[in-house]
Amino acid sequence: MRAIRRAGLLPSLGMLIAVFAINAWLQPDLLTGGSLSSNIATFAPTILVSAAQAIIVLSGELDLSVGTGVSMLNCALATLPELAGWGIWPSAAATLGIALAAGTTNGVLVAYLRLPSLIVTFATSAIWFGVALIFRPQPGGSVSESASDFYAGSLGGVPIALILVLLAIGAWSALQRYPLGRQILAVGSNPIAAFHAGVDVRWVKLRGYCIAWCLVYLSSLAISAQTLSGDARLGLPYTLTSIAAVVIGGISLAGGRGSVWGAAFGAITLGLIANVIYFAGIPSIYQEFFKGVVICVALSFTFIVGRRRTA
Amino acid sequence: MSILTARGIVKRFGGVVALNGAELALTAGRVVGLLGANGSGKSTLSAILAGEIAPDGGELLFDGKPVAHRSPRAARARGIVIAHQHPSLAPDLPVWENLFLGAELRGRLGLIDRRASRAVADDALARLAPGFDVERLAGDLSSAEQQLVEIARAMLRKPRVLILDEPTASLARAEVDRLFAEIRRLTQAGTATIFISHRLAEVAAICDDVAVLRNGQTVGTWSVGTALDHARVLSLMTGDAGIAARDRPARDIGGVVIEADGIAVATGRNGATFSLRRGEIVGLAGLQGQGQEEILETLAGWRRIGAGRLRIDGAEVAPRRPRDMIRRGVCLVPGDRHRQGLFIAQTVEENLDYPAAGFRRRPWLLPFAAIRRETLATIARLAIKTSGPQQPVGTLSGGNQQKVVIGKWLPMAIKVLLLSDPAKGVDVHAKGEIFAAVESLAAAGAGVLLYASDIQELLGRCDRILVIYDGAVVGAFAGESVTEYEVLAASFGRAA
Repeated sequence: MRAIRRAGLLPSLGMLIAVFAINAWLQPDLLTGGSLSSNIATFAPTILVSAAQAIIVLSGELDLSVGTGVSMLNCALATLPELAGWGIWPSAAATLGIALAAGTTNGVLVAYLRLPSLIVTFATSAIWFGVALIFRPQPGGSVSESASDFYAGSLGGVPIALILVLLAIGAWSALQRYPLGRQILAVGSNPIAAFHAGVDVRWVKLRGYCIAWCLVYLSSLAISAQTLSGDARLGLPYTLTSIAAVVIGGISLAGGRGSVWGAAFGAITLGLIANVIYFAGIPSIYQEFFKGVVICVALSFTFIVGRRRTA
Repeated sequence: MSILTARGIVKRFGGVVALNGAELALTAGRVVGLLGANGSGKSTLSAILAGEIAPDGGELLFDGKPVAHRSPRAARARGIVIAHQHPSLAPDLPVWENLFLGAELRGRLGLIDRRASRAVADDALARLAPGFDVERLAGDLSSAEQQLVEIARAMLRKPRVLILDEPTASLARAEVDRLFAEIRRLTQAGTATIFISHRLAEVAAICDDVAVLRNGQTVGTWSVGTALDHARVLSLMTGDAGIAARDRPARDIGGVVIEADGIAVATGRNGATFSLRRGEIVGLAGLQGQGQEEILETLAGWRRIGAGRLRIDGAEVAPRRPRDMIRRGVCLVPGDRHRQGLFIAQTVEENLDYPAAGFRRRPWLLPFAAIRRETLATIARLAIKTSGPQQPVGTLSGGNQQKVVIGKWLPMAIKVLLLSDPAKGVDVHAKGEIFAAVESLAAAGAGVLLYASDIQELLGRCDRILVIYDGAVVGAFAGESVTEYEVLAASFGRAA
């Protein structure tokens, strides 16, 4: 409990429960297994990319290129089989290589060349988008249907998508037992203190980016397994959604404070809000409007509750 | 046998020479007191020895061989560790993690050994402060507690060379005693220690040798022996043969400008009742944290008045924000000049102009020529030592930074000047200059309310001294005749 409170998870957890309750009220069949597992399958890409953003924000930086990064990886997955004649496994491996290269590029630019992450990842986001367009000028290509069957399936009654999310965030939690995990937080909390304490700040930040991009990769796998094709515009909304999820999840944009679980809660909350708007029967042209209003209300709730607790 | 020797170290920051041929030799099992006025280069020399900044010239010998530290990590690998004057901690991590940051204790599978880390951290802090909770977040600690964590961390790293940069500035007496016991324990095990402090009594108590820096040069080193020669230290530090008695300029005391009638930060708390006249310097004394700073902040409009009445020139006021009081000529020189008094990355000129800029008749214009004239006039009037208006204020010495904080109010027609411990952490020479500036403002007709944690700074400077205890005025003395004993006795809430 102390850990939950310390990580600032209470407000975001409360928000999540409240939105879930409203959703369950408007959509009585929400609590059936099929509905829950299709929801988690839909939310998983957002959750994973938000967790990636959370890791980078915790290290005191930002990554505006995760969205087009998802696009790039999705297009690579859908194109490499026909382009190189590879099967699904070699294509997936090559795509992981692309993800790590992108993470390393961002990490080197931010940590070693000390360029401001806000601007430099804005620039690399255009590069990833460009690469995605080279792979797939038009939406198309294909991902093996077996991926879809696997992703929609379950293992011992637990949906694969849920297992994917729990494994990814669980791995991050395990990393908190290692110096690297704690040093990522220390670097975000006070880089000068970390440097004085003998932490190699640049190397820690670079590895933070690479870990985050492994999650971006998982996110692209999840979304590709649903769309089964490549689309260079597919990932565009993810960048801002991931930042919103991070903030709703109680992570300080100044770095160092918060938990990746919070970002997951934030991402689920955003997904449930979309559900609520849909099931409330709001005409489609008003849906975006109300979505914005509800997110404003959610934010004020988390922040006012959070402020009380720290005051 | 010397472990670490610094020879002819030179360091420049922009055009300012911080070190110009500094020398220091450290011997195993001895404590060197590094003395010098603020801005003499003590902290810069420490940072170079600890590998945090690279020197521009000179050489470091480690175990007799020349070395160049590439990073703090490299210096630490050689056993050189530093505890900074301003603690350098990660605020969002608990104390025990801060102690091991960058040198984590690893257990099975390379996991952080939390149990062992906590136990060692507990033990290390218990030696300095029994009952310290190592689970608390570093950001939640008081500055004294952060200082203890910073020191404990340095001591944990099994140093061969331990650098303590003003470790005692915010510590209580008992903590200082425990710190000295720990220094002696390490010294017996062969550690060489650098001890930096402005308190000569502490230097005399713990140091085997002293080295005095002035303007970036080592001007004297000797063994302390049985007693520390204070006069020799002070004359080397200031470069003056003797410290002349100050002339107190005659001041005309005018009419009442501030009347405080039981003002308190909240209802139900003790209120303070006092008055202040034009041209008068009134000192606020008392134990630390008895509400002196709150009184100043209330008068400056930083806090709402919770109870009581405040009159300025006879008219009752209820400030809601600092601007309300600045408009009336009530200006505060706050206690934390880095965070509250200055824009540390900006130039001297920009800092001096900020208050005026918000109150010009046409605040959307910046009249550069007029601002430059005003800046140069302020630099001259307060004798601010700077390479020019464009020098970043962060590169000035502490005393000169404080003069900039005072100087930024000069264009505002100061009616009342409030000062919260303006000479804290500043050397003797700069102290004198700061108070000379304050006295000249009083002579020009400003009422001055001065809080100082060091009673010595109030004696002989104030027309009256008010002793504050738990938010209320519990003693008032005429400045001429009061003794330190009387003020101290009143501070503890007892009659002399």
